[in-house]
Amino acid sequence: MIRRKRTQAAPPDGPEETFEPYEEFRRIPLPVYWIAIALAIWGAVTLWDNAQAVGVGRQERAEQIEETPAAALNSGAQIFEARCSTCHQPNAVGVRSAIPPLAGSRFVAADPAVVVQILLHGIDGPIDVGGRTFDAHMPSFASVLSDAELARVATHVRQTWGGDRQEITAAFVRVQRARFAGRGAWRGGEELARVVDPALGPQPSAGPAVISAFADPAVLRLVNQGRGEAWACSSCHGAAGQGGANIPRLAGLPEGYIVKQLQDYVTGRRRNESMQTVAGALTDAERRGLARYYSGLRAPSTAKPELGGDVSRGEQLALYGDWSRNLPACFSCHGPSGFGVAPGFPSLAAQHPAYTASQLAAWVGGGRNNSDVQLMNEVARNLSDADRRAVADYLATLPPVPAVTQERR
Amino acid sequence: MDDDAKPSPTPRDNPGKGLFARDLIYAVGGGFALFAIAAFAFDAGWLRDRKAGEADGDQDVQAAMFQPPPDSAIPDGPEGDAIRRGQAIFMNTSANASDFVGNNLSCSNCHLDGGRRANSAPMWAAWTVYPKYRSKNKQINTMEDRVKGCFTYSMNAQHSPTGGPPPPGHDVYKDLQIYMHWLATGAPTGEDMEGAGYPELEMTSAGYDPARGAQVYAANCAACHGGDGQGQYDINGRPVFPALWGPRSYNWGAGMARVNTAAGFIKANMPLGQSNRLSDQQAWDVAAYINSHERPRDPRQTGTVQEAAQKNHGGEETYYGRTYQGRLIGVGTPEPTSRARP
Ligand code: HEC
Ligand code: HEC
Ligand code: HEC
Ligand code: HEC
Ligand code: HEC
Repeated sequence: MIRRKRTQAAPPDGPEETFEPYEEFRRIPLPVYWIAIALAIWGAVTLWDNAQAVGVGRQERAEQIEETPAAALNSGAQIFEARCSTCHQPNAVGVRSAIPPLAGSRFVAADPAVVVQILLHGIDGPIDVGGRTFDAHMPSFASVLSDAELARVATHVRQTWGGDRQEITAAFVRVQRARFAGRGAWRGGEELARVVDPALGPQPSAGPAVISAFADPAVLRLVNQGRGEAWACSSCHGAAGQGGANIPRLAGLPEGYIVKQLQDYVTGRRRNESMQTVAGALTDAERRGLARYYSGLRAPSTAKPELGGDVSRGEQLALYGDWSRNLPACFSCHGPSGFGVAPGFPSLAAQHPAYTASQLAAWVGGGRNNSDVQLMNEVARNLSDADRRAVADYLATLPPVPAVTQERR
Repeated sequence: MDDDAKPSPTPRDNPGKGLFARDLIYAVGGGFALFAIAAFAFDAGWLRDRKAGEADGDQDVQAAMFQPPPDSAIPDGPEGDAIRRGQAIFMNTSANASDFVGNNLSCSNCHLDGGRRANSAPMWAAWTVYPKYRSKNKQINTMEDRVKGCFTYSMNAQHSPTGGPPPPGHDVYKDLQIYMHWLATGAPTGEDMEGAGYPELEMTSAGYDPARGAQVYAANCAACHGGDGQGQYDINGRPVFPALWGPRSYNWGAGMARVNTAAGFIKANMPLGQSNRLSDQQAWDVAAYINSHERPRDPRQTGTVQEAAQKNHGGEETYYGRTYQGRLIGVGTPEPTSRARP
């Protein structure tokens, strides 16, 4: 184009007469050079950028490793802030008709074994706190806090809101852990009063035990043996649906969410070869059955911070977001404590950091494009690489969702 | 710009060598130009970044406004304690001021990021302009009066345990004001600040229409606020997404019940995290849709709805007192029996 123009309009002493004869030497058109050089520049810039990012990452990881022993020595107040305040609130007043207060609660002031037993096993049934009845789900912290950490947070809670100066020791927690090892959540205040501390006084009793045995043998066969291309889910996702590394924890995800993901693998809105194969081999009814099975499954957490992320930054993002980047709190959509909001918003608590980070990257990279209203695309786009690792690591420190069967939800 | 204008770099006596040099210049220049165009497109957001964390337009706008202090700057001591109490009321109103809250909302549901977010009627901007004259009650209003208004209407105090807002001089007002005062640390007083209030949208030529709004709602809002507008709850029965109409939402006297106010709020803040995703037209329509549904009565109503509409809602963009789809709007919803999830 330029050339044609030049031929028409060049001044008599212009370059074209000396220029044209050499035209045939030019084998490669100019635009090809442009592109080649643009690519070369791009390549160089990217390499440099990557090298920088790797350097920063390495440095951050090194710093993190140095910090870890200190982080493990979190004070009781810090553990409360990070693990309890999302539900019980920073000032322990709870949430009306949903979460009981710790301030002034008889459970907090009772025998030290009560708080420790609640932290180890969680509560499911009705309890009476300050004259009000609550019937919700307190998670178990047994798989995410060490004996020493449990001792510190229990001491903090009892000293601040129970009016008891006594220090709870790690040794005491160890004994309490062994005492009812293997049992599930406490089935309400009545059972705690009967088994742990009669001084708790009259408490509402739980209805008949919810039979959690999930009986559909066809679903269990798919989970454990698989069928043809529908490989056994447990071979990758673990016997109790806890997952590991890049393979997600499924236990406790909302039923509707699981069904949607299995469909999205088939339609390609979410890309992953293994899961596309597996999901494609399942009927609709099987997908629903499997979703139901996993959504009601409780399993201890096997996740741990492993990406060297800054956990306190992650906590900040999860609880408050970073509005300077237009980023709402993760928990404003994923529910307080990251327990999810059925059916659309998955639980994030106790998810494996490598998996969480991989999904955040997939939304930006296009491998996952299945979020309603582009909600996660926007969120992921506003997270830096360090923030992804930070928030993924923080989420791995949370207790697993106390999954409830669909009837109870 | 045009090649002709440039003197030829080619010495005429050595055309072959000149050609090479010239090509080299063109090639390198063109390469840089392509790279620059691509980089520019990238920066401008036409191409999406694979690495994230870059500022976008809205962030720049937000960053240019007044920056309230972060939580970590709350001082220790009695003042800090009062700030924290105020903050707790603001974030979790129904537990920390439970006697005066008759729905499932918290102040921070409408004043985002704990009252910090520009264009969601941030507290730092409000603090500096009170006391001021308000047309709602035709009086000079103190900040306490203003907050009382939000309890009366936005928090629907008529259905609270005490049946009304906190009495004058109550600690709830004091703590909230200390929190606001702290948020406004360093803000100029008496000045209208950028980012104050909710943005005002100009009326579009097509006007607003709840029927069109229903479609906007289904596509952009229902995922969170629920198809029935009643919000969503987590496994413990805690509201995560607030109700937009019905017995657990703001009442007919609330600012948010006006179509224009809601449209401005929605345009700037909804869907959560996606400011300005909706066009002005969509914001008007969806605001009309949510505000054409029934909600708790206007507590000022003494006679009929029509009388109350004339007395208290004259000249407002509201469905209150209007008949829509054969139904008189504004009659109110019954007081919820249980305050938990529906
Ligand atoms: C996901 C929300 C959640 C988190 C996180 C949580 N709790 Fe709870 N907690 C509850 C709920 C809900 C109940 C009531 C359970 C019921 O109704 O059966 C409860 C009950 C309790 C009780 C007994 C009742 C009372 O009010 O005294 C104590 C003590 C307690 N939690 C302490 C803690 C501590 C300490 C932590 C942090 C290590 C914590 N909780 C974290 C939700 C939570
Ligand atoms: C070969 C290993 C493998 C097998 C077998 C397998 N999965 Fe997966 N699954 C994965 C991996 C890896 C992912 C994460 C993929 C990604 O990054 O999107 C995944 C993701 C999922 C997800 C999405 C979870 C989330 O949090 O979004 C669901 C649901 C799921 N699998 C269900 C199943 C079910 C049900 C079965 C059995 C019928 C099964 N998977 C069998 C490897 C497997
Ligand atoms: C505006 C609402 C919203 C916010 C804020 C939000 N998310 Fe999400 N997120 C969603 C939705 C919706 C989905 C489910 C998408 C789908 O249907 O597959 C999701 C899914 C996810 C998943 C996939 C879970 C899985 O099991 O595969 C991860 C990981 C995730 N979000 C992390 C985060 C993190 C980290 C943050 C905070 C930095 C965050 N989200 C904030 C709406 C949100
Ligand atoms: C349902 C949404 C909603 C809730 C909940 C709510 N407000 Fe408001 N608030 C509004 C609206 C609408 C306005 C008027 C803004 C305008 O006209 O630009 C407003 C205005 C204000 C103002 C004056 C702002 C200014 O710039 O002049 C203050 C102060 C205020 N609210 C405080 C509170 C407090 C404190 C609470 C909790 C007790 C609360 N609000 C709860 C919607 C709400
Ligand atoms: C990603 C989930 C999400 C989507 C999508 C969403 N909202 Fe919201 N909305 C919220 C949350 C969360 C709040 C409370 C804000 C807070 O507390 O930070 C809220 C608050 C509101 C409020 C003020 C509080 C109240 O109850 O009156 C209105 C009005 C509102 N949204 C309207 C809309 C409209 C209209 C749309 C669709 C254009 C929409 N929202 C889309 C999550 C969402």
